[in-house]
Order: sequence, then structure tokens, then C-alpha cells
Amino acid sequence: MDAPLLQKAEGPSEATQALNQRMRDNLVAIGKNRDEQAFSDFYNHFAGRVKSFLIGKGLTEAVADELSQEIMLIVWRRAESYNPDKAAASTWLFTIARNRRIDYLRSNARIEVDLDDEMLEVDEDDHMTHEAQVDLTQQSVRLEQALLKLPQEQRQVMHLSFFRGKSHGAIAQWLDLPIGTVKSRIRLAMQSIRTEIMTAESE
Amino acid sequence: MMHHLTDETLQDYASGVLNSSMETLIACHLTVCPVCRRNAILAEAIGGLSFNDNPAAEMKATASDILAMDKTVPEAHPSSLQHVSQPAISQPGVPRPLARLLPTTLDDLPWKSFGPGLKQYNLGSQPRKEGAFKLLSLDPGSKMSKHKHKHRELTYIISGSYSDDIGHFKAGDIADLSAEHHHSPHVDSDVPCISLIATDAPVQFDSLFGKIVQPFVGI
Ligand SMILES: [Zn+2]
Repeated sequence: MDAPLLQKAEGPSEATQALNQRMRDNLVAIGKNRDEQAFSDFYNHFAGRVKSFLIGKGLTEAVADELSQEIMLIVWRRAESYNPDKAAASTWLFTIARNRRIDYLRSNARIEVDLDDEMLEVDEDDHMTHEAQVDLTQQSVRLEQALLKLPQEQRQVMHLSFFRGKSHGAIAQWLDLPIGTVKSRIRLAMQSIRTEIMTAESE
Repeated sequence: MMHHLTDETLQDYASGVLNSSMETLIACHLTVCPVCRRNAILAEAIGGLSFNDNPAAEMKATASDILAMDKTVPEAHPSSLQHVSQPAISQPGVPRPLARLLPTTLDDLPWKSFGPGLKQYNLGSQPRKEGAFKLLSLDPGSKMSKHKHKHRELTYIISGSYSDDIGHFKAGDIADLSAEHHHSPHVDSDVPCISLIATDAPVQFDSLFGKIVQPFVGI
């Protein structure tokens, strides 16, 4: 039962960064110019991965295939709403895939913060500082680096959470570990990721 | 000091494995807490990176098939628009994810009393085994009997405050309790403490009083 996040021998390379950048540019081109070539490139990289993500979360092959097509259609239709300064292309796609899966599984949609809420508490870090905004692809490389540095046992719980659709309680059962152990692994993982990102940003 | 969501709850929220009651409650806290909001965004970014982790499954359709679908498949009405159909009644202390579920103001809700100074309003239509989803209003000075949770209980404080052996909880705070916790909150504000509660399994009470109260409180 080992399926760690980003199990690569070498660290995140310039190639990964170039890929992140290319996918981001693809989304922007689809949003601005209905660029079919850009969509094709985006689709060829991500569609099959979205499908294996959905299968990993317990959907059948047939349903996963159909939902992946729908998700890609959403990408084509809503790419205009993608803001490259706010999220990496993979993050944006992840939220669409997650929400579409929830839509499929239950009758009401995922519930999120309403950004027009009068009660919305904003702080300065919310509108990211210019330096932070400069390079989101850089930031996702840092994030990738941080993930790669995690001990195997921490990567495993992160992976199970995102790829097997398991709550931390279910992960504990699955791995036959006390729930407290799973929690502390998640907390340690998130702690080192935050530290890693902040250190990298202040360098 | 503010009480926040735990990392494991934020991660469960980001990966989309919680029920809609829990999501609503978490979205309330995220509305008022930029710290947790940032952490949720970070968890989503990790989710995005996890796409690169697995090999791509083979797709039955090609990119051109999708482009052809665009011309034939009508735009789906995202169900996200459905629950907006009830306009949110704006009132102090109630973030929109919760306000959308309320037919009227907190004052005018058909609260049900379940003891002196204690009342509740049930929001959940889900079967009880999936957990409770309700508003509780506890008068100043009231105290809940000591109870523990089989799974997880999230509490979002709307107004007033209470204390238990973990700390002092006030409006905007979240109490993110797991199975290990036994607690007996008492209200220490001079106004009623109104909170939103979501559990993913029924609570087990320790005391006889608790056991009797439980079917009525339903948490
Ligand atoms: Zn918080």
C-alpha cells in the first residue's frame, strides 16, 4: 500500500515548471481566443489523469470516462473564468473535477464561501502581494518540492486523501492505524509544506 | 485568539469527502477566517498537483469529440445555482452559506425547546445515522451535559460564547472536535450562545441525564 504523492526519482525539474506554464497558457488562450489547439494540448495532458483520479475515488470506469468528458467540456466553456494570477491550472482543474464528482454523487452542489458575502473577512495576504503574484508556477514548483521532501508515511496519507477519496477517519481504518496517528501525519505534512513555502518566499 | 479548523478537516473539505452539512459549516468559518481560507487554497493546490501522480487512463473521446459536444450538449444547469434559489436573508453574524438555508431571521425561527434555556432548530433532512445538522440556542449560564462523539463534531459559533475544558469559544470560532474529546460546554456570555452544529454520527452521552436528553437534542 504505497502510493505517495509525486513519486519521482528526481526533484521537480525545469520540465515540470515548463509544463505548468504551458497548461496555464493553454487555459488563458482557450478563455481569450477559443483556441482549439490549446484545448487539445490541455486535454491530452489532463483528461486521462482526471479519469484516473475519478476511478481512484471509487467511480466505475464508464462513469469516470463520462464525467471526465463533461469536466473537459466545462474547461472549454468556462476557461474565461480562470484567473492565472490566482491559481495554477492544475488547481483550477482539480476544483472543477472535485465539484463535478460531488454533483454526480449527491443532489446538492458543493457549498463554498460566497465572495460577495458582507461578512467576508479579508486580510492583506488575500490580494496576494505583487511578489507572490509574480510567479504562481514558481509557487507550485515550491509546493512540489515541499511535497517531495515529506517522509514517505506523510506522503501516503496525503495521497490517500486526494486520490482515494478518503476522509482521515477512513484512511486510519484503511491503513489500520490509530486515527490520531493519521491526524498527526497530516498536520506534520501541512506544517512542513507551509514552512517550506514561506521560507522559499522570503529567500 | 481564534479557534480554527484542523488541517485534517481542511484537507477533507478540500478533497471533497464531507457531507453538505459539514461543508456549510466550514464555509461559514472560511467566510470570516482568512487564515483557514488560505490553508484550504493550499490544500486544493496539493490536490491539483496530485493529478500528476497517477498515470493517465485511456479516454474514449478525443479533444475534437469534446469540441463537437460543445455544439450539441446544452449548458448544464449547475446544481450550485439550485440552492441559491432561496435568497439569503442578511442578518448579523450569519454567513451566506448558512443564511441560504434559513427561512427567516434567527429570532423568528420556529425553535423547539428541549430544556430550560435550551432550544434547537433542525436543519438536516438527512437520516440520523449520517449525523445531525442544527442550530442550538443556549441561554446565558446554561451547561450541556458531558458528552463525547463517536466521530466528529463541528461547531460554528454565531453569537455569544461558551467555554469548556478546551477553551473559550466566541462568534466566528469553530470547535473542531474529534472522537477523543469529552466536553461539557457552558455558556459564559450575557446573551444566548447560538451555534451551528454538524456531526457525522450521533453523540454518546456519559450521564443518565445526557442519555435521556439525547433523543430530544438529537446530536
Ligand atoms: Zn480559521
